Formats: sequence, C-alpha cells, structure tokens
Amino acid sequence: MKLKRFLLRYYPPGIILEYEQGGILKTRSIDLLDLSPSTDVDKVVEEITQKEPLITPGKVEQVQKLVARLQEKIGQREDHHYYLFKVLRAHILPLTNVAFNKSGSSFITGSYDRTCKVWDTSSGEEVHTLDGHRNVVYAISFNNPYGDKIVTGSFDKTCRIWSFESGKCYNVYKGHTAEIVCVSFNPQSTQIATGSMDTTCRLWDVEKGTEVGNLSGHTGEIISLSFSSTGSELITASFDNTVSLWDVRSNKRIHTLIGHKAEISSAQFNWDSSLIATGSMDGTCKLWDRTSGRCTATLRGHSDEILDVGFDCTGQRVLTASADNTACCYSAITHQQICKFFGHEGEISKITFNPQGTLVMTASADKTARLWDPDTGECKQVLEGHTDEIFSCAFNYEGNTIITGSKDNTCRVWR
Amino acid sequence: MGLLSLLRKLRSNPDLELRILLLGLDNAGKTTLLKVLASEDITHITPTQGFNIKSVQSKGFKLNVWDIGGQRRIRPYWKNYFENTDILIYVIDSADRKRFEETGEELTELFEEEKLAGVPVLVFANKQDLVNAARSSEIADGLNLNSIRDRAWQIQPCSAVTGEGVKEGIEWMTQACNKKK
Repeated sequence: MKLKRFLLRYYPPGIILEYEQGGILKTRSIDLLDLSPSTDVDKVVEEITQKEPLITPGKVEQVQKLVARLQEKIGQREDHHYYLFKVLRAHILPLTNVAFNKSGSSFITGSYDRTCKVWDTSSGEEVHTLDGHRNVVYAISFNNPYGDKIVTGSFDKTCRIWSFESGKCYNVYKGHTAEIVCVSFNPQSTQIATGSMDTTCRLWDVEKGTEVGNLSGHTGEIISLSFSSTGSELITASFDNTVSLWDVRSNKRIHTLIGHKAEISSAQFNWDSSLIATGSMDGTCKLWDRTSGRCTATLRGHSDEILDVGFDCTGQRVLTASADNTACCYSAITHQQICKFFGHEGEISKITFNPQGTLVMTASADKTARLWDPDTGECKQVLEGHTDEIFSCAFNYEGNTIITGSKDNTCRVWR
Repeated sequence: MGLLSLLRKLRSNPDLELRILLLGLDNAGKTTLLKVLASEDITHITPTQGFNIKSVQSKGFKLNVWDIGGQRRIRPYWKNYFENTDILIYVIDSADRKRFEETGEELTELFEEEKLAGVPVLVFANKQDLVNAARSSEIADGLNLNSIRDRAWQIQPCSAVTGEGVKEGIEWMTQACNKKK
C-alpha cells in the first residue's frame, strides 16, 4: 500500500486518502465529524496517525495543515444575505422538483409539461430541454459529485438517463407498472434506484441499461429512497407506514422499520449511515439504529403531519417540517429539541440544512421560503416573490446559491 | 398542498375516494366551480396556469377534484391526468356561442381517449345566470350527447357564481358511482 495523495472534503469534514494497492488506485476517507473550531489539532492528528497506517511520520506535518485548514473552513461564519438573482419562467406548467450539480454551476427542473430542463445558473439560460417522457417528470437528479449525467423519473412509468453535456438520452428504463416518484444514483454513479407507486423499488445498471434488482416487499407506494454514503445499502419509505433497509448487492431486505402509525413522508440516512430518520403522517419523527433496526427515539414536536425530515452533513442534528406550519431542530444524539421555527403561514413541505450546517431552509405553501438559525430558531431571511406555493428548494455545495421551484411555473435563483 | 399530498391524491383508494377530472375550454368557469364545491371565496380567480386540486366530502365519498387549465397551449397536457379517473366533469360557457364548435371538438376527442373509456361524464352548462346563455337542451343537441352509448352521461345547467344547479350535478355523480359498483 502506497499513499499517493490527500484530498480534502469540507462538508462533512474529512480527509480522503488516495493510495495504491496491487497496482489499483483506491481511496479511503477519514471522517472528522466532530471537528470544531475549538478542537485541539495536535490531538486529532495523533489519533489519526495511530489509527491509520498509511500516515507515516513523514506525513504528519501535512495532515496537521489539512486539519487546520478544515477547522478554518468550519469556523467561517459569513452572514450571507441572499438576494433574488434571477426569475426563470421555466415551464408552461408547474414545476415538480429542482436539483443542483455539485458546484451549483448548473441546475435542473422537472415539470408537469413532461420535460426536464437544464439551466446555467450564472446566465439563467436554458441549456437543454430533456424531452421524451410522455407524462409528468416528477423525480430528477444529477449523478453528483460527477455531474455528467442526469436521471429523470416520470409518471409515464419509465426512467431515463441523459447526458448533461449533450442533452441526449442514453437509456430508457422500462419495468415499473405505475408512476415513478423517486430516483437516485448510487454514490459511485454505477447504478440507479427508482421508487414507484407500484410498491416496488428497482435497481438499474447505468452502463448496460438493464434492470439488476427488483426490491419488492412493501405493500404501499414507495415515495422516498436514499443510498447510504458507501452505496452498499438503500432505504425505501412507503405509504404502507414502514421503511425498508436493503442490501444492494444481494437485493435482500435487512430490516423493516415498523412503528409509525401512518404513511411515511421521508426517510434519510445520516452521514456515516449509523442512523435513519423517518417522518410520518402520524406527526412523529423516529430515529432508528441501522445495525439493529430498532427505534431509538420518537420525536414529538408537532401537532400535525410531518412532511419532510433531514440530517445536517455530520449527522448530529435532525430537522422536521410539518403541516402545522412549524419546523423543528433536534439533537440526533440527545434527542432534545434545540429549537422550533415559527413564522410560516402555510404548511412546510421541504426542509434542509445548508452543507455547512449553519443555516436551515424551509419551503412552504405560504409562497415563501425562509432561512433560519439552527441554534436559536431565529428567522434570518424570508425569500419572497413566488406567487404560488413552493414545492422544492435546494442549496448548492458551497451554500452560496439557492433555487426555489414553485407551482407558479417559475423557478428563482438567489445568491 | 406540496408534492407529497399530490402523490397521496394520485393513489387510488377505490372504496372511499373518487378521482374527478374537471376539464373544459379556458374561461368556462372550472376553477370557480371547484371553489364553489369547496365552499371557498370566488372573487379573485385568475386563469389557471397548471392545475388545482381540492377534496370535497359528499355523501360518504371523498371527491378529489382535479381542475386542469383550459388554455389552448396547455390542453395537450390534459392527458397527464387521465389515469384512474372515476368521473369526468366537462364545463361549458353556455353564453360563449362562438366557441361551441371548439368545445364540442375537444369533448369528442376526450370521448375517444382509451384511458377515459367508459368513464361517466357530467357536462355542466355553466353561466346560466347570463341572459344570452344557451339552454342545456340546445347544448346537448349541439354536442350530440344523445348519441352516447358507451358511458353514463348527464347535462346539468348551472351557474357557478350563484351556485344554482351545482348540488344537483354532485348528486348525479355520486349516484353514477354507486351504480358502477
């Protein structure tokens, strides 16, 4: 084993080791999820050197510099005020979802007009219209961090892969017998997972264009799915009130998370995939231990359905968004409520941290998106201007650009 | 409403819920009718750029009504909403005689849609409160409704603005669904 070079990863903080083993280039990551501006760098470096044989005494100084750089980046607290940068009359019918590529230089919008459009963020120009689906384009995603492919899932029951560069369709994946409502690339960008109203989740090979797995077992529609950060496991959330954890290689179900009393609205892994957060129409959010499949906490901070949940990038805090017009932030470790976000005048359908974990964004039926301080619950900014409810919102990786997509058929870029 | 509740309305729950599709030309009064059904204020209604969905309780049924914009350029997208439709409501502006031919053509096309085959249709001859409104019998003749053999149909004169005739239409719908079972 020979260490080739170090790569830095800001969110979540970590150092990636690129090394050679038997002539093959491999990578391994050292996660520094607890790193904070007050952490003792020497101590962290000592721990790393002890655990990691690749880091020889000669490399210690370099590692010290990297950790200090990460610490500096985490300590940066810019009070960024976002202003409306562009309004894009995106589609002639309402938007569904929006998504950025990693850098935020491009983003995509799905629509009821059966297309997905690719946009250049800085110019606001439409780069491609991905045309081919015969019904609503509902779920969309880039293969981040690469960003050279786009996947679209449609109410026409098919899923398509497109080239970001040319806008050409590489493959059409047929097999589902009802609407596709969630899609995701695995982190290696070799497979796609699609979840459907037909109650199954399917896995597809990106290169070959063939179906490689049919994950069936749910008795209700699948409405949310996500891969673990290593890509070896997948969770599917269903209207049958349960969440399933699957082994992607064997296509076997590892656990069924049973406990919610109504439909699941969202399910997410934390970064190291040790925890799963689920939100439900029963008004609670539950945290589950991935290894045992047991529920470790039930978070009851809402008086109505929970519509979305999300972790921060290090997995230490959980967010919940509710139809009761409020949102909450909890510690994923102590399960204590850190704060509650008050102010929206309509239900909150989407919630997310910025990649840094210093800001929370909510999208609401009250036609606004809002930015909040996750420590105090204070509303930092109201993004106003849409003339109908906001369906979707996203940060780019740097956290300096926001897109919001609305039922008013427009999409707004804020920087 | 959000995207999630869209998915919830999309799933079929055949025993308790009916999926109702509200179509017609632009300015026929679809959104006004929808709001009247949901007992909402109708003073500020603008042309629908996409769709509106509302749920209404009636006689033990939950009616999920999908109101789709009727402007010419978005009519090709009506197809998006055909699947799993239990009842089609077609709204006509009874006072806009110049467009009877156009509305008839659109309706005929809907009748030919495979995904709407056998779906009962309720035609609302709307805007009966206007003096120059055509009578419903006149419209039924014009649209050749009497020749329909492959589905249940009804024409109901109404005025969404005054609320007259709307209740009768809903009653027919729930009956048509009871018969279907």
